[in-house]
Amino acid sequence: MKKHIKFLLNGREMACEVEQNKRLLDFLREDLQLTGTKEGCSVGECGACTIIVDKLAVNSCLMLAVQVDGAEVMTVEGLMENGELSKMQQQFIDKGAIQCGFCTPGMMMSAYALIMHNPDPSVEEIKTAIAGNLCRCTGYKQIIEAVSCSCGK
Amino acid sequence: MIAQFEVLAPKTIQEALQLISGNPRAKILAGGTDVITGFHQGSSRFIDTTTLIDINHIPEMHAITETDSHIVIGAGTPFTHIVENPGVIKYFPLLAESCSVIGSLQIRNRATIGGNFINNAPCADSVPALLVYEAKIRIQSAISDREMPLADFLVKPYKTQLKPDEIVTEVILTKFDDGYKGNFYKLGRRRGVAISRLTIAVFGKVENDIITDIRIASGAVTPIGMRIAELEQKLIGKPANDDSLKEAAIELGKIILEKTGIRWSAPYKLPVMQQVCYQQLHTLVFGKE
Repeated sequence: MKKHIKFLLNGREMACEVEQNKRLLDFLREDLQLTGTKEGCSVGECGACTIIVDKLAVNSCLMLAVQVDGAEVMTVEGLMENGELSKMQQQFIDKGAIQCGFCTPGMMMSAYALIMHNPDPSVEEIKTAIAGNLCRCTGYKQIIEAVSCSCGK
Repeated sequence: MIAQFEVLAPKTIQEALQLISGNPRAKILAGGTDVITGFHQGSSRFIDTTTLIDINHIPEMHAITETDSHIVIGAGTPFTHIVENPGVIKYFPLLAESCSVIGSLQIRNRATIGGNFINNAPCADSVPALLVYEAKIRIQSAISDREMPLADFLVKPYKTQLKPDEIVTEVILTKFDDGYKGNFYKLGRRRGVAISRLTIAVFGKVENDIITDIRIASGAVTPIGMRIAELEQKLIGKPANDDSLKEAAIELGKIILEKTGIRWSAPYKLPVMQQVCYQQLHTLVFGKE
């Protein structure tokens, strides 16, 4: 059974028909072809599917697509600025904060949500913000450095 | 793919109560952190569910209101709001602290206090704090409106007194007079984003070196979050010295064993539980070292 929803996605107004039993993650990846958002554990433990809804980092595997009706949604695809990599994306590359890259979109969305509320976070604050994002190969040191440097430090 | 269901999004509590009334196949969707994974994994708990009632559009369900004597938290309030609320931080710091260590930030941005105790997992982190504060909850249906202590509401793991047509709407906390102090401790397998292996909340009052009131609640090591009344009774009226606290910590070990039986983890957990209990009581009585 489908339901009509309207929401803002990466600054663009969207009006879609969506299955009511579809998770937000599947809706983004399958219906909208926004495959930057990854599916890891599917139970809210790994953070690979992290996106920003109404300025808060959330796991898109733990929401239904119909729940973003009227909301403002940002995915990793929305980070790009004027067709170029954002400062944070560039820092992830420069600091070697990407290895396999699977955790990277979720990691960046958690970090971006932090910076939206706190433009100059401490290392401890960065660690808290990304505690729900597991990385199994790059190592957190470079990731924290990349986030820290993208705040202009 | 998740089984078919419809999602209803009422705007008022009354509307939600009407929707759930006489519809035993409907369930409440609050933060969704248990419900949506449950559906996704095909949990037997949701086999009969055909309707989800999303309460996130009801303002009262996620409001925190403060009066001179109380703080009332809408049952659908996400942990992030509770952790950041100045009134909760000031008057109910153990609740703020315990909510701040639940899951990850992504989880705390969605998961709700009501969902935590209605799910009633043994490891529900907000429960020990709510129990030592003697929280009451308000439960409404289309034809009834009742209040009860949270302690009575929690029956056994994953089972509460909630009836199919009812919604828990409020958590009611009564402010305490000065002189009460407390501590909360959580032990998981790692520091961040861990399922609790052991939680303990202690809350009490020392007057003229006598323990005049004490409340001790545990989670994860007991079948559900619960007050340890036998231990509290033994401590009240005792001198606030090291011997009393050590005695209490040893006693706690025996009580937990009686409640849970000997499990494979007991040789590890019991001494840890006793030591943690001692440390928390010590801090409560003598302050932080």
